[in-house]
Amino acid sequence: MVREKLVELKNLKTYFYIEEGIVKAVDGVDFEIYPGETLGIAGESGCGKSVTALSIMRLLPEPPGKIVDGEIYFKGKNLLKLEPEEMRKIRGNDISMIFQEPMTSLNPVFTVGNQISEAILNHKDIKHKEAIEQTVEILRKVGIPLPEKRINEYPHQMSGGMNQRVMIAMAISCTPQLLIADEPTTALDVTTQAQILNLINGLKDRFNMAIMMITHDLGVIAEIADRVAVMYTGKIVEYADVKTLFANPKHPYTWGLMKSIPRIDKDVESLYTIPGIVPNLFDFSKGCNCCGFNTRCLLADDKCFTEEPEIKEVDEGHKVKCWHIDKLEELKKI
Amino acid sequence: MSVKKKVLLTVKNLKKYFPVKAGVFMRTVDYVKAVDDISFYINEGETLGIVGESGCGKSTTAAVILRLEKATAGKVIFEGKDVFSLKRRELREIRQKMQIIFQDPYSSLNPRMTAVDIIGEPLEIYGLVKNKKERSEKVKDLLSKVGLGKEYIKHYPHEFSGGQRQRIGIARALALNPKLIIADEPVSALDVSIQSQIINLLKELQDEFGLSYLFIAHNLSVIKHISDRVSVMYLGKIVEMADKKEFYVYPIHPYSQSLLSAIPIPDPTYKKERIILEGDVPNPVNPPSGCRFHPRCPKAMDICSQKEPEFKEYGNKHFAACHLL
Repeated sequence: MVREKLVELKNLKTYFYIEEGIVKAVDGVDFEIYPGETLGIAGESGCGKSVTALSIMRLLPEPPGKIVDGEIYFKGKNLLKLEPEEMRKIRGNDISMIFQEPMTSLNPVFTVGNQISEAILNHKDIKHKEAIEQTVEILRKVGIPLPEKRINEYPHQMSGGMNQRVMIAMAISCTPQLLIADEPTTALDVTTQAQILNLINGLKDRFNMAIMMITHDLGVIAEIADRVAVMYTGKIVEYADVKTLFANPKHPYTWGLMKSIPRIDKDVESLYTIPGIVPNLFDFSKGCNCCGFNTRCLLADDKCFTEEPEIKEVDEGHKVKCWHIDKLEELKKI
Repeated sequence: MSVKKKVLLTVKNLKKYFPVKAGVFMRTVDYVKAVDDISFYINEGETLGIVGESGCGKSTTAAVILRLEKATAGKVIFEGKDVFSLKRRELREIRQKMQIIFQDPYSSLNPRMTAVDIIGEPLEIYGLVKNKKERSEKVKDLLSKVGLGKEYIKHYPHEFSGGQRQRIGIARALALNPKLIIADEPVSALDVSIQSQIINLLKELQDEFGLSYLFIAHNLSVIKHISDRVSVMYLGKIVEMADKKEFYVYPIHPYSQSLLSAIPIPDPTYKKERIILEGDVPNPVNPPSGCRFHPRCPKAMDICSQKEPEFKEYGNKHFAACHLL
């Protein structure tokens, strides 16, 4: 049975043109999201995951950003070819986004109720009174107690966790088919994070929403994603369903990352580390037909410095961008 | 035969209240009870982890121990000396031995000073180096101890990555040969693949120099890896304290249990019963009556809202404050 894709990215390239040079933030990214599933985008700072999200939403500052190549299909339509008017109908309605810092993503001078009903009124042809009623209902759905009172409060009067719930409320107010969540729980305490992840999962089931979950936290990925794309220096280096990725990572970066996380369920003397640091994106973008992970990879050889790795499909639905997949298997045995 | 450990730091009934001022005359109307009667100790060569969520008082505890903030009440004894009653000169001496590493590698280094200035400053202030050449030599030595090449000596903070800046912060803390280093969320702002480098470094340095750490973090996995003993703070109080192994296997306080269960495990096949707490962390200006955790506690009884539970030992140096026990 062939499933219809909700979202399809083809060779997306988003570059930033600044004084010091060109930063190739997203440099040839392909992935799909199916209806009702969660795609996790995993990676550390600077890997291009947020820029990918902003590209889909067409929220990039242009200049200095520019989508230089590629296609973004949503339900068969290429979003990059849409007029601003048409995109506005989709943004907040069919595709919504929630951001990392809830305190700074909400407008501090408008009440919470005002901000949510604004989103509703933008997309639905209803009266103000009805929009307020819907706002109260949505706040209730996201677990905010006494929502009739809360609609008159300002973001600063609420905690981080509450603000994040408000953002989620705003994002789901028009029952989007895709929710993009960019590090939604990173700024929250761990007990609040558990609540918010629980909430997002519940809403996903209830509304059959697809989710694009961006995070550096592999624990969150394991918990919430169905499939995962691991990003590094603007490219996807590994792409697989979540169980396969954790059981059998095939890219040295994925493998190294998983090994270097301190685990509550395991005991080790010394943590595994990936040597070196993420390359400076300016220097890296200057052009190298190579693998971005080469300076930190235990398996790198000359080829990794002179040729960009091809994408190999090692199994159905499991893609890896690396020259030395076999060598990694050897290394794992040690 | 067990080696009797020597106690390096003792904290007794420590309190820090911040006044809340309001009105035209800025009268004190209330207090933020950031740290509200906590006691603990750290032995030589050992790491005590303090874990808690934002607003629990862990960073304030660090500031008060170092006298960066004035305590409202309580005692801190370091190497047998009462830290709060020390006069200027004695305090200066003791400060050599108690150092701190901060959370944010981007704001804890002076952007106008080079690495050699930053790390060398404490050496100059304490007269441990005679001239620039000696300072340079010592700094290069410290840089290599934290894994940075000596070519970085004249670089400015903005020329380093987050992880490298944190290494500079560590080198600065080591410069005076301290006995205790308070590390306030030293890896929280770093990328995952860098965190493990810094954690390993801190452990190596501890072995090499016989350091004691007061390691403050909200990440229980990091705490587990580096601590010998763990204490959990909630709204200004310590709710549980135990040896690491004991704590992670037998957490007895409901808050500790929910913290541990909230951690997402990087293993999609791991199934567990999640304890999801209701509500948010309350405001420390008006902490709940009785046990501060009772409004969110899944096992709260009547007595919990009426009487504050006593912080007692339950065998095996495992302490907790809870009416259920």
